[in-house]
Amino acid sequence: MNPVKIGMMSFAHMHAYSYAACLKQLGDVEFVGVADEDKKRADEVGKQLGVKAFATYEDMLATDVQGVIVCSENVNHRRHVVVAAQHGKHVMCEKPLSVTNEDAEAMIEVCKRANVKLQTAFPCRFHPAFINLKKAVKAGDLGKILAIKGTNQGQCPFGWFVDTKLSGGGAVIDHTVHVTDLMRCLTGAEPVRVYAEIGNRMFGKDFDDTGLLTIDFSDGMFATLDASWSRPKSFPTWGNVKMEVTGTDGTAEMDMFNQKIDAFYDNSMSYRQEYWGDSIDLGLVRSFVESVGEDKPVQITGDDGAKALSVALAAYQSAKTGKPVDLTS
Amino acid sequence: MQKVAVIGAGKMGAMHAKAYAAMPNAELVAICDPRLDAAEELARTNSTRSFERIEQALREVDPTVVDICTPTPTHIDYIKTAAAAGKHICCEKPLARSISQAMEAARLCEEAGVTLFVAHVLRWFPEYRRLRDLIAGGVIGETVEVRTTRCGKARPGVDHWFSNLQMSGGVVLDLMIHEFDWLRSCYGSVRRVYGKGLYNSHIPDIDYALVTLKFDSGVIAHVEGSWARPSGFVTSVEVAGTEGLLHFRNTESKALTIERKHKGGECSEDITPPNMAVVDPYNQELEHFIGCLDAGITPDVTPEDAIEAVRICEAALRSITTGEPVTLA
Repeated sequence: MNPVKIGMMSFAHMHAYSYAACLKQLGDVEFVGVADEDKKRADEVGKQLGVKAFATYEDMLATDVQGVIVCSENVNHRRHVVVAAQHGKHVMCEKPLSVTNEDAEAMIEVCKRANVKLQTAFPCRFHPAFINLKKAVKAGDLGKILAIKGTNQGQCPFGWFVDTKLSGGGAVIDHTVHVTDLMRCLTGAEPVRVYAEIGNRMFGKDFDDTGLLTIDFSDGMFATLDASWSRPKSFPTWGNVKMEVTGTDGTAEMDMFNQKIDAFYDNSMSYRQEYWGDSIDLGLVRSFVESVGEDKPVQITGDDGAKALSVALAAYQSAKTGKPVDLTS
Repeated sequence: MQKVAVIGAGKMGAMHAKAYAAMPNAELVAICDPRLDAAEELARTNSTRSFERIEQALREVDPTVVDICTPTPTHIDYIKTAAAAGKHICCEKPLARSISQAMEAARLCEEAGVTLFVAHVLRWFPEYRRLRDLIAGGVIGETVEVRTTRCGKARPGVDHWFSNLQMSGGVVLDLMIHEFDWLRSCYGSVRRVYGKGLYNSHIPDIDYALVTLKFDSGVIAHVEGSWARPSGFVTSVEVAGTEGLLHFRNTESKALTIERKHKGGECSEDITPPNMAVVDPYNQELEHFIGCLDAGITPDVTPEDAIEAVRICEAALRSITTGEPVTLA
């Protein structure tokens, strides 16, 4: 197989640096280059990674690059995915897929019409703990899944993430989508109703920093999800992705980033947790590269991204009205 | 393409065979075991040929590599045969039952001009790699003291050879040698050894030892090994440095736990799959070995490393037997 030609659009989201490292690590990839509306950042990143920095997105898209990874600010996803699709390039887009349901639908439609693949970046699906949990659920080890208690609590990333004109929302849009996607992927059921309490009292600013979602699923299962930036600056790691699954025949507890070394550092007078488990980004990027290279369907579709986003948006609506929001209507 | 014959169809032989069978630049050409049934079964699983004796395999399939996964006291004779036939050798740890055998094995391989690699796999476990990287990076200053644990229950092995401490060397030579080698890879040479243990107590299916090491660098280490723990397997490391502390314990680092109800019963069973990692340390270790053979370079575990690990074990057993500290030359 010829190496798959991949480029990267924007390094606004910090996950871009990890995806870039994965592209360098994979053997069957030709890392064509990077482009960024922040020209200085493109030059720096290009130098750092030893790849070409293109002056504009269009310059990069005019080459024979086959696929691109979009890691811009959330509100810019639509514009960047659309321009890539119009150049006939396959796209992996950072989550959340977009900031409105209309944007998400439009992105899916444009990619479909341009006959290019659209993958949403949900790397948690590639952690061995989740892969094995899904295997157990599929094998019926837990019986029928009755409920899931999930958390995706993290430290506030600040920067553009807290500028809702660029992010479309705070913690809830940032942290709802990962675990919602895992719940859908695990059970095959769809979210049908969302209730949420959302607050901003952690920082007291004009962005939401805490969210408690309750989600009903199409198969009768219910779930809650803590989608928050509620970990303090002194927390020993960036945050967590956890699920506690209750079934008729058993239970499962997943704590995705618990494979850690406890570290106590005198220099910073801090306790840190140093993760040593498998890289989830490598599985995600490899999956995208293989889909492009072997021309097979993406494992995580644009529709998956849109479904997860719709839960976050419904949560905002519910918090505003104080009432559950029906997703099926 | 390296052609590998695996000697010994026990637990480790099965793991090594599976790793070679999946490797693009190696071909598993034979499984040998005097228990022909076991050899045949493992050969069938991995679609290769089985032999009762190593000589038959050498004659009929002409491997380039012999991988020895047999009970410890038999290593030396297989190494003699393989080296005399000019084959590269991977030998399961410990290299040999005694220091004199270990030195003889290394000498024979050197004279025959073949590579001798000893499978000290702990160096490829991600948590131990991360610990070693953190230590080497100086994040906790200079290491002062290390405490390690490796505790499980006795494995039976063929004809209960592990429980025959004269054959296996007990926990010191079979379990704690992992830490002895890893600690050497972090801190260099050991000066003095003192140990307590049940090596001479002859309690059926139980062995336990606590060993203190003093390194030339000044580091002191406490190493625990047990075949007396009824359930579960516990590993832990604590590294105390001049500017911080690192701590790891496998039971506190689980990413997934799955419990299933027993049909009709009140008790439950833990059905969490073992070895979930996508990056398997055994595969990494053997890929490293084969890669070094292909590139004509010395693997990360040198014959000297393997000899020194056995030397520390022998010193620990002597100390346990005499009650006196043993100083290494």
